[in-house]
Amino acid sequence: MNDRAPLALSVEDLTVAYHSKPAIWDIDLAVPEGVLMAIVGPNGAGKSTLIKAVLNLIPRAAGTVSFYGSPYEQARSLVGYVPQRGSVDWDFPTSVLDVVTMGLYGKLGWLRRPGRRERDLALFALEQVGLLDLVDRQISQLSGGQQQRTFLARALVQDAQIYFMDEPFAAVDAITERAIVNILHQLKERGKTVLVVHHDLQTVEDYFDWLTLLNVEIVASGPTAEVFTPENLKKTYGGTVSYLHDGQVLMAGD
Amino acid sequence: MMALERWLIELLLHFVSRDEINAFLRSPQNTATIIGCLIAVSGALLGTFLLLRGMALTSDAISHTVLLGIVVAFLLMTDVFGMAGDTSSPWLILGASLAGVGTVVLTELLYRSGLLRQDAALGLAFPLLFAIAVILVSRFAEDVHLDEDAVLVGEIGLAWANTNSHCFDNCATVTISPDHPQAKMARQCRNCRELGISPRDEGAQFVEICSNCGSYSPAQAWQAGYLQKEPLLVFFPKSITVTLVMTALSLLFVIIFYKELKLTTFDAALAKALGFRPGVMNYALMILVSLVAVGAFDAVGSILVIAFFIIPPAAAYLLTDRLAIMLLLGPLIGAAGAFFGYDLARGKFFGIIEVADIIAGVNSIFGLDLPENWDSSISASMVLMIFIIFALAWVLSPRYGLISTLIRRANQRRRFNDQVVLAHIHNHQFTDRHATELRVKTLHIHFRWTVRKMARVLARLRALGFVALVDGFAELTERGETQVHAFRSAMLEAHNMPDIE
Repeated sequence: MNDRAPLALSVEDLTVAYHSKPAIWDIDLAVPEGVLMAIVGPNGAGKSTLIKAVLNLIPRAAGTVSFYGSPYEQARSLVGYVPQRGSVDWDFPTSVLDVVTMGLYGKLGWLRRPGRRERDLALFALEQVGLLDLVDRQISQLSGGQQQRTFLARALVQDAQIYFMDEPFAAVDAITERAIVNILHQLKERGKTVLVVHHDLQTVEDYFDWLTLLNVEIVASGPTAEVFTPENLKKTYGGTVSYLHDGQVLMAGD
Repeated sequence: MMALERWLIELLLHFVSRDEINAFLRSPQNTATIIGCLIAVSGALLGTFLLLRGMALTSDAISHTVLLGIVVAFLLMTDVFGMAGDTSSPWLILGASLAGVGTVVLTELLYRSGLLRQDAALGLAFPLLFAIAVILVSRFAEDVHLDEDAVLVGEIGLAWANTNSHCFDNCATVTISPDHPQAKMARQCRNCRELGISPRDEGAQFVEICSNCGSYSPAQAWQAGYLQKEPLLVFFPKSITVTLVMTALSLLFVIIFYKELKLTTFDAALAKALGFRPGVMNYALMILVSLVAVGAFDAVGSILVIAFFIIPPAAAYLLTDRLAIMLLLGPLIGAAGAFFGYDLARGKFFGIIEVADIIAGVNSIFGLDLPENWDSSISASMVLMIFIIFALAWVLSPRYGLISTLIRRANQRRRFNDQVVLAHIHNHQFTDRHATELRVKTLHIHFRWTVRKMARVLARLRALGFVALVDGFAELTERGETQVHAFRSAMLEAHNMPDIE
């Protein structure tokens, strides 16, 4: 990575605690512009917590976060967010198009209603994720992968500079996974920065050029080629991980 | 409030005469129906969002705790500030909405302590506030008409009698002072009780007391006979005004903040990330729920309010999967329930069937002697009617109703059975196991079906032209072959969406 590239995200000394038990501890993170970064770690490592704290969705115990040098309140329009699929009620009485249009509410601000322009933008995003056939479908009738792509389209219409995606690959079909990867690469080509909470160690090297290993504290962060090592994985997962590497099974641990 | 009523009446006077307005509003039926419909409309509008937020029970909690707000505000008004105790005063409404918000805050605090779950926190907070309210009522406000019956089911049937009078012509106010010719003066002993003597005894001192002095509104003056000309009066039930204002506020709130309500309800995290304030929206919603609950409290009591909030949206939810339509259908269903509910209370079912006839029928069939005249609680009947409409939606809804679900399941089962058999034949015909697998007489054994079920499915498949029987063996026809390919590729497509590259 170019050292002179501006930092898309800079996190210093970030700590979040649930009932005085730290969920993430003293996080320092510098994410250069234009990388696809995976956040990887075991269950309970605080991956989602990190994203939520960065986006001010949960209170921080300590630390500062800045996006292109500005605090979140001033950088809102630069940030796109894809929450976990399970975080909403998919029986909500609304259509795919409507959910995607919600991504534009931030730009509309209070009281202004979405109109034709917003509709066109939402349809364009739905086309990108391959859901153009389903725009009027009630969201409860979508498969898991289609729901995930709806969320992705909603983030795309935000036209942000830096995207946060919370487990977009969780329990989706192969087609959706490929669609998401395609979109990640398109975003990267357009100079966007994407942070993804990720679970599948086997695909980390293929999908992401930047990697943060997290287990309450940052274990390592940097280019995937440098960070994705058996030693680091062992430190992150405590010696209980096995993963495929170039077709071989490596045991990171005992 | 008074100004609003006056404006409304002036508007109405363009279309109907004063006597018609008075006659219409003096009918308990009209007034109760209007109030019931207004509560149902405002309740359903806000209830839609409560339902979708999984906060249905919050409306029940708030409808109870507004009593605390009403009582505390009432006591403050009368005992501390020395005002007249008017149960439809704006101060009571303010107190009630504070109590409603207080319930939500208290619930949240208990929940955030991490020691209680959300439902338990709610179940703890509102009985506490309600209990305090009941104690205050029984201890300090016994003379107020806040009795248990009113708290239980309200007094919607009496709402017509509690009116504000508005004068439009010959509006003389009369003030009777002691020197007024019509003043009724009486001599009263000032110190008799003190000294324990009778007025005839020596030492009794007297004062002149005026028994009818004071200022009279045109309505009061006319009734007391102090006016020569009858003033032009319209009597407007206070509850209509209160519920009308609540409905207007709810409607404005939902229309103005539709987008924000939708977003914060569906995805609070995104709403927050985008800079909308889900917390603020939540409290705004709770304030409005409290306001509606106060308006509803007088009419239908504490316990039944939740039905006006939750059942109509729940019924609408069965009929549509669009939020905007749900917000239209919910109030309609609620209003219809309130409208026919009044009829039910007076013994008519949907305006056609007489309940008395039904009871008479039951009496004659079973030889019982149940009283045939039917006159029951209006608010309870309204709730019952709203529920009946819900039940109709539950059974008959074209998409999610009981009947259509049963039909859909039966169809699915039938189609699945067909496909199982077709796939089995497809897999085994032209193989060497063909003789064992496809003999019609033993076919049912392979599926572990009964002979009858097997025969039924085979008969259907033959009728559809998918399967032919040749020498006692099942065989796919050309159509059957196409059918197998069709559902196989459909099945694959369900898992894989069209390529997006």
